Amino acid sequence: MKINMRDKSHDEQIERWADYVRNNPDWKKKHKKFIDGQIIMANRFYKKLAETAEGKAIIQELRAAKIRKNSV
Amino acid sequence: MKREVTDKTILDKFLEDFIRIADKYVKYIVVSGFVSIAHGRSRGTEDIDMIFERISKEKFKELHFALIKGGFECIQSDNPEIIYDDYLNSGTAIRYTKKGEFLPEAEVKFAKDSLDEYQIKTRMKLPLTGLDVYFSSIEMNIAFKEELLKSDKDMEDAKHLRLIYRGKINEQEIEKIKKQIRKLRFNED
Repeated sequence: MKINMRDKSHDEQIERWADYVRNNPDWKKKHKKFIDGQIIMANRFYKKLAETAEGKAIIQELRAAKIRKNSV
Repeated sequence: MKREVTDKTILDKFLEDFIRIADKYVKYIVVSGFVSIAHGRSRGTEDIDMIFERISKEKFKELHFALIKGGFECIQSDNPEIIYDDYLNSGTAIRYTKKGEFLPEAEVKFAKDSLDEYQIKTRMKLPLTGLDVYFSSIEMNIAFKEELLKSDKDMEDAKHLRLIYRGKINEQEIEKIKKQIRKLRFNED
């Protein structure tokens, strides 16, 4: 049996945002900040991690795990 | 709803750079999470998933070297023979990033069955995204998310697409695709 981990408010948020996208041409500006922020933050983290002693090896392991996950 | 240049996200620019090169060598489609994100879904992703039509090793080598020249690198290997034989041709996705960058990644697989070939055959540009690239159809994305992938994230993506394209979705096509998914991916009759 599949357990639904999300509550009703989460579903309602999806509806509210989809309505906003349909009705407000400025949605892209808000969306860009959100999407770019995540990429910028993740890249900043990985660059810092790569500078540490074990960082490059950890990144290699993370990448290998991702490749394995997507090959099953 | 034309997108201004300044509205383009890092993901949009990465994809357009990648496709500008790939389009000269192979028929492709952009699938999965990025399709929803390009339609405004507010969630994260690390990669942009793509399916390529099957091409020969020679043609892939040309594509790979063009991508390298264009500033990309393949995470798995620098050697296109290894990338083709050990990954692409064995059904494993390959990943390209901008050289020296960690994210985003382009995750590329070859079409693996008649359903993937149908996805490529029915590919389309989706003007609402403001992007000049080919996507698998909205019906295809909804069907895969609701019938095959089914995680919370995927079901929410499908819901978002259904809301964005309310009144314009071909439900018969979705059912037809779901039937093919059950047949080809779950081996059901």
